[in-house]
Amino acid sequence: MGWGTWIAFKQFQNRREEEPSSLAPVSILKPLKGVDEGLLENLESFFKLNYPSYEILFSVTENTEPAISVVQKLLSKYPSADAKLVCEPQNTGPNPKINNLMTAYELAKHDVILISDSNIRVKPNYLLNLVPDLRDSVGIITAVVAGVSAKGLGGWLEASYLNTFFARWMVLTKKLGFPSVIGKSMLFRKSILKRLGGLKTLGHYIAEDYMAGHGIQKLDLTVELMRSPIEQFIGPYSYQNFWARHLRWGRIRKSIAPLAFLIEPLFFSTFSGVAGAISLNVLFGFSPLTVWGLHMALWGICDGLIYQLMDRFSWKALGAWVVREGLAPLLWISILSGNTVSWRGRDYRLLKGGLLAEGRTT
Amino acid sequence: MYLADFHLHSNFSDGKLSIPALVDYYGKRGFGAIAITDHFCEQTSLIGRASTYLGVTLTTATFPIYRELLKSEQERAWDQYGMCLIPGVEITKNSILNHRSAHFLVLGNLENIDPNLDISELSDRVRPEGALVIAAHPVSTQKIEKQTFHLWDRREELAPKVDAWEVASGPYLFDEVRYSGLPMIANSDFHSEKNMTSWKTLLSCEKKQEAVLQAIKKQQLDFQFYREETVREPSYSTLPWIMGPQLGHYGMGNVDSLQAISK
Ligand SMILES: [Zn+2]
Ligand SMILES: [Zn+2]
Repeated sequence: MGWGTWIAFKQFQNRREEEPSSLAPVSILKPLKGVDEGLLENLESFFKLNYPSYEILFSVTENTEPAISVVQKLLSKYPSADAKLVCEPQNTGPNPKINNLMTAYELAKHDVILISDSNIRVKPNYLLNLVPDLRDSVGIITAVVAGVSAKGLGGWLEASYLNTFFARWMVLTKKLGFPSVIGKSMLFRKSILKRLGGLKTLGHYIAEDYMAGHGIQKLDLTVELMRSPIEQFIGPYSYQNFWARHLRWGRIRKSIAPLAFLIEPLFFSTFSGVAGAISLNVLFGFSPLTVWGLHMALWGICDGLIYQLMDRFSWKALGAWVVREGLAPLLWISILSGNTVSWRGRDYRLLKGGLLAEGRTT
Repeated sequence: MYLADFHLHSNFSDGKLSIPALVDYYGKRGFGAIAITDHFCEQTSLIGRASTYLGVTLTTATFPIYRELLKSEQERAWDQYGMCLIPGVEITKNSILNHRSAHFLVLGNLENIDPNLDISELSDRVRPEGALVIAAHPVSTQKIEKQTFHLWDRREELAPKVDAWEVASGPYLFDEVRYSGLPMIANSDFHSEKNMTSWKTLLSCEKKQEAVLQAIKKQQLDFQFYREETVREPSYSTLPWIMGPQLGHYGMGNVDSLQAISK
């Protein structure tokens, strides 16, 4: 665990050694659904990028979509920007995000594509720092996501999750050669994805990001992490939201990689603390409560350090951390106990050992 | 005349190389036609499901990506090497018992593959669509590995459903198949570079999928032993005492002959 913290530090302090390759023009795809707090500012940050050539394609599935007015506001504020709104959903499979994006993807002018979720907010040099790393041997660049501007219990729990457990998980799995791809931010070349049948193939899957990473590796190309975390604007977020999202995502994860899911508790502070306390007690007769307390304190310090890399650590963050560490085992058990997920008004049954889900309207 | 090998595994199942690396490997050696045939284990058996957990088989989830990648590599194989890449799959039905285990290849059309179907059902489904069904290593491979005898046990009943039977799956010729009068094909069951030294099929038809599949069907082919120079001798790891007396009469095949044998 300490090792993971150390790697996280190294990952983000990593400076580029090689000369950057060319600044290829980029098509940025933004799937939109609903208007969450901060949406305007999130989207606007993409109009202010220092980058020679890029376009932004906003994509919605319905003419009545409330996010349209936000986009129109921005289009009139930045009339010279190469940006447009697309509303032409396609049906490629059970993945609503891919169905939303398909037309925009086909319309994209440039080979380099960035798919970026609506709650991501970036700094002006974002593309300048990101694109040069897309070398020939690289298939996809994803990013560690830092949760910022949390409100509400769910929001703070989400931030705590993203800024400790998940950040460490991302850099560790990358280090171990099993990198995860996060759909919130994926940079790749259209010409490479075409070798796997294009974005359409990913529409078969509910976890399109995982399959993108899987497919890219079958081309002998690598999955890379961006050198610095990107910021996800969390905003107000209820506890129920947090629980439902993690239940859904956990069950998808379980169906994709059941063995990895089974060993997840080893990475829970509480559980590994209990295991450590029991074994040290049996082996050396140490007091289990002291060992457990020390373990939790040490773990907390490491998590605090990682958190500080991602966002400013605070008393609220500490409180959220304590609650989330306590919740993690309960969440894990409840993920274990079922195989269905609900997602945007539909119930999906996850198929055994695979990723395909059968859609069923509720 | 050109060399062909129709039984190759990539890292979509238990092979070592990726599909692009396989295309480059065979392309650089001047092969005219290859088929990539990753394991697709039936999901109705415990062993099949375990293989899915271990990631050593295609699954319903990875199959669409596999098919798409084969499609795009098919173009590249042709453009870069003038080599015909045929999409394939090895339907894998493993049981603890060798006589209940069966592996067979489907070549050419992967549209309606269901690994849970019985060979004769699947054959009836895919052959009208232009696919070929090939019995893989139907008799002892003379290596210490899992054996699959089920198809050979049922060969009379299955003969009309199978387009060819592997007469080699590596460096040994299978005499039972060779003298059986059944249609034949020689492949290497390539999992890594060390499997390259093997019997291969020799074709003279056009390097196009339909022509190649027709040539196999009509048995307009020959076999040739191919030796990969950079790798050491094919290992004679066959230990008859482990294989059991049932294998004693299986003969070693004409391992070192480089001359093509004719049917
Ligand atoms: Zn086999
Ligand atoms: Zn095989």
